[in-house]
Amino acid sequence: MTQQAWRELGDTLPADQFRATSDAIVANIEKVIEGKTATVRLALAVLLAEGHLLIEDVPGVGKTKLAKALARSLDCSVRRIQFTPDLLPSDVTGVSVYNQETRDFEFKPGAVFANLVVGDEINRASPKTQSALLECMEERQVTVDGVSYELQTPFMVIATQNPIEMEGTYPLPEAQRDRFTARIAMGYPDAGAELAMLDVHAGVDPLQELQPVSDAATVRRMIATVRDVHIADAVKQYAVDLVTATRESPELRLGASPRATLQLLRTARAVAALEGRDYVLPDDLQALAVPVLAHRVISTADAQLARRTTDAIISDLVHRLPLPHERQRSPYERPQSANGNGRSPYEPRRR
Amino acid sequence: MRTRRHLGFVAAAATLLAAAPLSAIFEQWTWLVQCVILVALIAGAAALARWWRVPVWAQVLSMLGALLFGLTWIFPSGAELLNLIPTSATIQHFGALVTGSAEDMRSHGVPVEDIDSLLFITALGVGGVAIVVDLLTVALRRPALAGLPMLAIYSVPVAVHVDSVSAVPFVVGAAGFLWLLAADNVDRVRRFGRRFTGDGRDVDVWEPSPLAAAGRRLAVVGVVVAVTVPLAVPGMTSGGLLSQLGPGGGGQGDGAGGGPGGSPGRVNLFAALSGELNRTDVRDMVKVTTDDPSPFYLRFAVADDMRRTGVATRVPNGAPVSRGMADPRGTGRVTEGITRHAYRADVEILSFNMPFLPVYSEPVSMSGVDNTWLYDETMQVVFSHRSTSQRRKYSFDYVRSDYTPQVLAAAPSLPPEHAMRQLYTRVDRVQEVDDLVARLVRGKRNDYDRVRAIFDYFSRDNGFSYSVSTEGGVSGQDIVNFLTNKVGFCQQYAAAMTWMVRAAGIPARVVFGFTNGTNRQENTYTLTNLNLHAWTEVYFTDIGWVPFDPTPAANIPGSARSRTAWAPDVDAPDPVTSAPAAEGGSQTDESAGPAEDNRPTRPVDENLEGVAGPVTPGGPTWPLWTVAGVLLLVLLLSLPALRRVLLRRRRHRRATAAAGAVAAAAADEAPPGVARVLPSDGELARARADAHAAWDEFIDTLVDFRIRVDPTETPRATAERLVAEGLTSGDAEEAVRLLGRAEERARYAREPLRQHAPLADALRVVRRALRGQADRRTRIVAATLPPSVLARWRSTVADVSAGLVGRIGRLRERLLRWSPRRVLAGRPGR
Repeated sequence: MTQQAWRELGDTLPADQFRATSDAIVANIEKVIEGKTATVRLALAVLLAEGHLLIEDVPGVGKTKLAKALARSLDCSVRRIQFTPDLLPSDVTGVSVYNQETRDFEFKPGAVFANLVVGDEINRASPKTQSALLECMEERQVTVDGVSYELQTPFMVIATQNPIEMEGTYPLPEAQRDRFTARIAMGYPDAGAELAMLDVHAGVDPLQELQPVSDAATVRRMIATVRDVHIADAVKQYAVDLVTATRESPELRLGASPRATLQLLRTARAVAALEGRDYVLPDDLQALAVPVLAHRVISTADAQLARRTTDAIISDLVHRLPLPHERQRSPYERPQSANGNGRSPYEPRRR
Repeated sequence: MRTRRHLGFVAAAATLLAAAPLSAIFEQWTWLVQCVILVALIAGAAALARWWRVPVWAQVLSMLGALLFGLTWIFPSGAELLNLIPTSATIQHFGALVTGSAEDMRSHGVPVEDIDSLLFITALGVGGVAIVVDLLTVALRRPALAGLPMLAIYSVPVAVHVDSVSAVPFVVGAAGFLWLLAADNVDRVRRFGRRFTGDGRDVDVWEPSPLAAAGRRLAVVGVVVAVTVPLAVPGMTSGGLLSQLGPGGGGQGDGAGGGPGGSPGRVNLFAALSGELNRTDVRDMVKVTTDDPSPFYLRFAVADDMRRTGVATRVPNGAPVSRGMADPRGTGRVTEGITRHAYRADVEILSFNMPFLPVYSEPVSMSGVDNTWLYDETMQVVFSHRSTSQRRKYSFDYVRSDYTPQVLAAAPSLPPEHAMRQLYTRVDRVQEVDDLVARLVRGKRNDYDRVRAIFDYFSRDNGFSYSVSTEGGVSGQDIVNFLTNKVGFCQQYAAAMTWMVRAAGIPARVVFGFTNGTNRQENTYTLTNLNLHAWTEVYFTDIGWVPFDPTPAANIPGSARSRTAWAPDVDAPDPVTSAPAAEGGSQTDESAGPAEDNRPTRPVDENLEGVAGPVTPGGPTWPLWTVAGVLLLVLLLSLPALRRVLLRRRRHRRATAAAGAVAAAAADEAPPGVARVLPSDGELARARADAHAAWDEFIDTLVDFRIRVDPTETPRATAERLVAEGLTSGDAEEAVRLLGRAEERARYAREPLRQHAPLADALRVVRRALRGQADRRTRIVAATLPPSVLARWRSTVADVSAGLVGRIGRLRERLLRWSPRRVLAGRPGR
């Protein structure tokens, strides 16, 4: 098996070529998923940000279809894992089998050895099996019997899960959720898109007719392009502020991790590149805050009782956090109690 | 119960503190001793009653009983049992004291000596207030209401003193009241339960609390404002803190008993005069020995500031007497008809406590007084800012002048612009007086005739009579009343004549002094309080101040009116004979000493210029001050707008400079096919700064037009919001987006936006669009008081003050480390 080294990405793509490729991929996916341009672009952005995608929504809105459409649009290896309660970790990672002919143990690669891994209904597998993904998602390698096997580039796990159904499911552990770069919800299509869908999907599944418009090598070059996107200090500061705000928010029991900061910026780079910019804006971070951060944080019991979803909490934080000003302090800022414990700095502690 | 008793004692102490203003009434401190005894008795009785837990009415009874015993003990009638148990005779005695106090209040001016009746009424009043305060504070738990009886005490000196009362007793009284309030609140907190801190520690000692500190600060600010605000209001400062601090303030503590000493400008001469004349007892005040066979009045003070509200004394101004005085004979020209003779007089002050020394007019040299005594040549008074006249002995040489009516009649009128005339004819217009004066002086050709017409008007023929028992006020309305009733005494005659002479346009002033009295032994006159007198002096050109005494001579012991040829007694039985006799006398005098007839004009005028120099321009300068004030106000108000304009201009200059640079750069890279020249770092930095300047200006414009500015919005989002809200339209939409894009690139991209339309133009377009959509009020505010500038200043001030507060807090924390209270607070709780 030819192992593609993770760091060998190739040259950056010129802007117009990048744009043409990305537009082609998005248009290809949209043949299958109508009226969800933003979601599709976000999925593509996660791919270019070298992240993993968690699609979470009620059944029947096209989660799996999006994952498969993305996989089919790229001419690269795709493996699909249907997570079931009796799935074993070795089914995911691979197993060493004794070969009678060579009289030796031979490694049979599991499902993760592909550029795109579509994990369907990931929360139906037991935690044991879910945990098999931990190493490969973060470190892009698989260790079996003391031997580490490196994964290919691009490598992306697209998992779907159903948040409504709780029967016979195992919620993803925090460590696992933190490894997904973004969680997106499909949402119902609007009336027009649904009507169009009835025509398109009536006879034949358009997924079958989907042709790849790009290949792994191009994607690698696109990733290299994304890595080259400029992030100003102010934007970095803003990302840190944003993540810090989740850690200090009184409504959140667990804030976002440093990995979240990193992935937020990476995704922002990808989004900026997809929009044809070579620099990241705070607008990108604001748009990405909910998809990238909301599934990693845990709200407090009070916030849960108040029916405050983490999406709403993160969205509020974004709307209240002032932009960092690289020059002097803006005179129009409201005084912010951002000194760690949410108290006013002048409130005496003793009383 | 312990705390309640404690509160009772605080109430007693607060009452005593509130009684501090009474010190302005009494010369001695006897009253305070008596009040302390009484209040202590009352507080003790109340504490005892509460210890026995008797009902409120019994507490009141016990306090009233204590008051009665205390009064009986301090003011015994001699008929008490064991000197303590009051009998009916005691009550009668008290009644007599109260009646007497009413009389004494009328007959004595402040400050009074220790008179039993007044001390009694004071002690009674303070004791009553102590009872009421105790009742309100401890029994009814309404200490705030206790301020009312305390205020009643304070109102006494305010009502009695014609001048305003000094601020110090007020501060003392206020401090007492605040103490009472604070003590009550601490008591309330204690009743509520034990104070407890969050960390489970009992609080049994003082601990800093921000709320209490705020209360204390508010109290101090309140007192300070109450003291300082009257100083800022013109016309209320006469006796306020400023004059206390001023050089004139020292007089009060200098004299043995205070007395009407004090600054020469602050003595209410009219009140002092009527007070002395109204006294029933006669006391010798001054003993004067002179070699003058017929001296005119001894004079000591001048009142020359006539207003509708009364006549006041200007603060005199002069050089020490030891430096010598101007001799009226010493200057040049001779005037026919004026006789001058030099005499010498020795004065011994027996009981006369003023910051002035009585002298005959016009003194030329003095001995026996120190350097603190000054001589005002315009007023011709000897005064001191630091000493009083009590028990002084001195002697002086003086020149007495006699005038013939002819020479006075020959004196020309002063031109209206003359400083002397402007200063000494200033008087508020009262219609009745003006009508009367116009009627009297009609057809009179010269000043002297006019003065004589007014002077002669105060005669028995016109129904004028003398009585000391009138009110004696000298305000404008009082003058009118006097001219209607035609009953009064010297000060009303003098004030009325001065007022009328001034109304006729002739300089005049009221003079205070002594008549020659009735007690004459050889050349020694012993003058009593009944000889105090007031008369008028009129200024004649080239001659000087000439005295006129309009008071009916028959009622004035020792009146010298019959001796003045120029101002004869109009009520005298035979004025026709007396006038020629006087004239004849002066004729001979004149022939006897022609060399001494000199004109006093020069020194008087010169001196006047020196005195009146700063005063005379004071009149017409007020419009200047008003204009200056208005200008200053306008300037201050226009400061924000000015700042805004300057800021905009600076940013505009940046933006246009940037556009120029960009245009130049565009011209450079005009030839196609040529590789694009990479811009230098400096160029990039400049483009970036220009975008920032344009954006700052844009944000300020938004603030000015009251459009929401959200610090959480990115430039792009702000621009899109403005477009979405329809705040900009047409080309303004494009301009707003351009501004947003430029700022966004400048902030976040590798390279700022170059190659674009000038930002200054975009700004102008946006500004015009925003102005077009704002309402009129917003436009006016944006032009005159730009909210952006104000907000920035406000935030700067807030930052600075927050920093200051933080620093002070840290300093305080550091200092508190050594506070003994903290050491106490750290000990284990009980």
